[in-house]
Amino acid sequence: MRDFDYLMPETVGEVSGLLARLGDDCRMIAGGTALLLALRQRMVTPTHLVSLARVRGLRGITYDPRDGLRIGALTTHAAVARSPLVRQRYPVLADMASRLANPQVRNQGTLGGNLCYADPTTDPPTCLAALEAMLVLGSARGYRYLPVTDFLVDYYASALEPDEVLTEIRIPAPRFDFGYHARFHRTAAEHRPLINLALLARRDGDVVGEARLVVGATTVVPTRVAAAEAVLAGRRVTAALAREAADIVAEAIDPVSDIRGGSAFRRDMVRVVARRTIERLVEQDSEGRIVA
Amino acid sequence: MTMTTQARLDGDASTIGRPTPQVNAQEKLTGRALYGGDFRTPGMLHLKVLRSPYAHARIISIDTAAASALPGVHAVLTGDDTPDRLTGVHRKQHRILATSKVRFVGEEVVAVAAIDEDTARDALDLVRVEYEPLPLVHNMDEALSPGTIEVHESTGNLSIEYKVERGDVDSAFARAALVHEATYETTSQYPGYLEPMATVAWVEGDGRLVVRASTQTAFLQRNRFAEALGLPVSAVRVIQSTVGGAFGGKTVEECNSLICAWMAYRLGRPVRFVNSRLDDFLGARSSPAERIWLKMGVDNQGLIIAKEVKILADCGAYEGLATHVLQVSLVRSDNMHRYLKDVRLHGRLAFTNHPPRGAVRGFGGPQAAFALNSHMAELAEKLGIDPVEFMRRNAVRAGDTTVHGFELGSAGLTECLDQVSEGIGWITKKARRPDTGLKRRGIGFAGAIHVSGNREMGNWDGSIVTARMTTDGRVTLSTGESDMGQGAYTMLAQCCASELAIPVSHVTVLPTDTDVSPYGHGSIASRVTILAGNAAIRAGREIRGRLLALASETLGVPEGDLTVSGGEIFATSALPNRRLTFGELARMHIYRHGGEELRVTATYDPPTFLAMSRPDQYGNVAPGYSFAAQAVEVEVDTETGQVEILETFVSDDCGKAINPLAVHGQTCGAAAMSIGWALYEEMKFQDCQLLNGNFADYTMPTAESLPNIQSGIIESLEPNGPYGAKGASETAMLPGAAAIANAVYDAVGVRIRELPITPEKILAGLREQEATAAARERRHA
Repeated sequence: MRDFDYLMPETVGEVSGLLARLGDDCRMIAGGTALLLALRQRMVTPTHLVSLARVRGLRGITYDPRDGLRIGALTTHAAVARSPLVRQRYPVLADMASRLANPQVRNQGTLGGNLCYADPTTDPPTCLAALEAMLVLGSARGYRYLPVTDFLVDYYASALEPDEVLTEIRIPAPRFDFGYHARFHRTAAEHRPLINLALLARRDGDVVGEARLVVGATTVVPTRVAAAEAVLAGRRVTAALAREAADIVAEAIDPVSDIRGGSAFRRDMVRVVARRTIERLVEQDSEGRIVA
Repeated sequence: MTMTTQARLDGDASTIGRPTPQVNAQEKLTGRALYGGDFRTPGMLHLKVLRSPYAHARIISIDTAAASALPGVHAVLTGDDTPDRLTGVHRKQHRILATSKVRFVGEEVVAVAAIDEDTARDALDLVRVEYEPLPLVHNMDEALSPGTIEVHESTGNLSIEYKVERGDVDSAFARAALVHEATYETTSQYPGYLEPMATVAWVEGDGRLVVRASTQTAFLQRNRFAEALGLPVSAVRVIQSTVGGAFGGKTVEECNSLICAWMAYRLGRPVRFVNSRLDDFLGARSSPAERIWLKMGVDNQGLIIAKEVKILADCGAYEGLATHVLQVSLVRSDNMHRYLKDVRLHGRLAFTNHPPRGAVRGFGGPQAAFALNSHMAELAEKLGIDPVEFMRRNAVRAGDTTVHGFELGSAGLTECLDQVSEGIGWITKKARRPDTGLKRRGIGFAGAIHVSGNREMGNWDGSIVTARMTTDGRVTLSTGESDMGQGAYTMLAQCCASELAIPVSHVTVLPTDTDVSPYGHGSIASRVTILAGNAAIRAGREIRGRLLALASETLGVPEGDLTVSGGEIFATSALPNRRLTFGELARMHIYRHGGEELRVTATYDPPTFLAMSRPDQYGNVAPGYSFAAQAVEVEVDTETGQVEILETFVSDDCGKAINPLAVHGQTCGAAAMSIGWALYEEMKFQDCQLLNGNFADYTMPTAESLPNIQSGIIESLEPNGPYGAKGASETAMLPGAAAIANAVYDAVGVRIRELPITPEKILAGLREQEATAAARERRHA
């Protein structure tokens, strides 16, 4: 790791000013779980690190029924997982945060840092896309709001402007009574999900009212599959429906192909993960099959 | 059976056979242990190397001017600066840094010494090397095809070839009731120790070179450095640092220590070289990938009577110990078969442009055990007999001399089979109706043989232990064998303490320092317990004898009337109050006319034979042979191809568990390593370039991905062993992969003959099954 100056501004405006002035020579640091690795491997060699640790307004979790949930960007995954507010109103998010990566990352890594790094093979983006999260981006020029799906644009690329800071993640008031974030590893020893899939739904008995289905980790950005959501809407959940929708999901996505998995294998596994997740909408037997 | 026993002088004090915490555990847990890279000395420089990005290329030019000009840089050296003489284990094939040609991605080309690591890395960025890429030798098939470019001139890319034939193989096959042949493939495994290779080297005021390194084999390292640098052996001193795991990777093949030693000698300044994990992935010797063709013939009683083995192994770019690894793969597993007399072996080791391969835990055994146990399961199915019963029927026993001349003083293979069968509930599980759902369970099993010691170097496989009694009556042991986490020091302390009836904490085992420790080959071939253990017992007894003689003389009591207990020697019955402590005796031993420190040296060289010196490889190479077996229950997800190990039981015939706690640890660690090799780990190459040289992408087993490993110990009491003990650190590595493959086959009917057992391969097998079934239905329709 090369030497750098460590700057500790206290307002979003100051951060923005530093980012604008230092440009490519600087990097923001939140939890640092990804940045430290990159620094040690010299993938990046900034002369300045701008710490967000002292910046006001980047912490805390609040909820109100009209605006929904607000999570400060510096909130760690573990704090999201522990939060009674999140557990009560958005159990799918708390559950995802409690299982992602490993204990070190959950305790040190932040939700905002995860999103800004835009690593496609992590869990929060997919879950937040299904929850239709809105991101608040601040700079000396003011604030703007961007859906998380517009924020994540490509492999390790986000829509964050060079002078902007992600300050808050907002999630609309819950509309769904079912949520599950599936995290699928190729083998038990792998640390990064090969695939993740978030499914939210409103149900009336075993009939789906409305559904949100997003696939990630195996696509460069989280991919919402509206066609599958449409097929599920208004239908009774059966094994056949789960298969039908899963086929749509598998065909709709454009899986990456790399040393961790070829695209054909990934597509096959997306089909399995989608079907198994949809089947969770109703009661299953010990083998995970629909009872009805 | 003449087990090494003696009248226990104080039975209660002995820890032999009792769970004993490692004597060096506390210093490791409290962070006080000094590993290879922890040592600092004034004026120390930091070394980094520039590695070849090409798998095969000619070096046209190297421009070091900009790197040398960087402030803080002390030296930028290339192959031309290294001694002319070639280095290597047996065959000398390369200089300390590459000259004229590079032969694998990661080969060391330029070395920089600077005031700190960052400066050294900066300097590497400024070095310009011009290469002329050459055609690659991509794999071992290509290597041995006519007309292929040679990795080394005039070798035909053949490193070594073994041909062994015993008996009349063709007529044995003709007699066989059943003959089965198949081909199996294994992949390279990275040793994956926690501590990457690290060295600090310097030159003393008298001009001698001192190398402090993480090593399993300090004395072999000393020989190697002396030879490579053209120094007398006496001018080199190697000190073993605390070793954070080695698994065969820290013997005499890795180049971190060699480059560091040379740089320090050349500059006359202390130099520290710590591998990054990527350095280590690229520079370490991983195990050779092997393709094993097996043909076995069985008579109508289910006895193995004929065997033919052909192995083609990938040596990578340079020959180190891979020739011996291949010999082991070829020869050793035959010695499990009691009735086998007719066998033909053919092994070839090919140079390729892969990174050099070499010694890794099991040393050729895991490759052979995967092929053999898969093959035996296939044979058992064809024979219609249970695979455990099939192996039991063919299992060698104590007293046997095997087909290749191994003389088995003890053999617990049958007992291992019984124990794992019972441990996993083999009979009950076997009788279960096959699962038909999405997830299907299956059981599998495998057995293995390994050596404890292996006569191969200089026709001496001995071990020497020096014991000194300090004036407080405590003992210090010196040895040339290494503790790399496996528990050697604890074992030595236990043996010596037991002989002297003192607590283990009264014995200190010193790390090897070639200036003061007795010579030793080091910790390889599971040799330390059986060889150094015996030497430690002899040393303990010798000390006890001297103490008794002195006490007898001093107290005026015949030795026969003296008792040794609790660090004292006292006269029994007649003179109850006459007693002397060990401390008093140790002081008396010195402080008298003609006195001297109480110090003894004991050696144990086993009654074994140098089979490797004979072309037919025949002979009793080891004083003891360990056995192991493992049973596994898996659940295979037929939609994802994922394998979950539900339960596993491993048995290790270690002769006698001197420290059951350490044996259990070694068994579980070995089983975990074999599970990793079978299911999770794969060094992925593209055009001989490693693609996953980091722990995010090379996925070793984590706690989450391992089952609760149950382990059992079989005590077959080896006559040559200390208290009956044999080696216990490698054998349990052997059976895992085949046990899993056999369990997967039992679960879903897919036979995986190529490691690793991946979800993709299982799914492909299941699809093939479906296609076959569909075709059959169409024919019937």
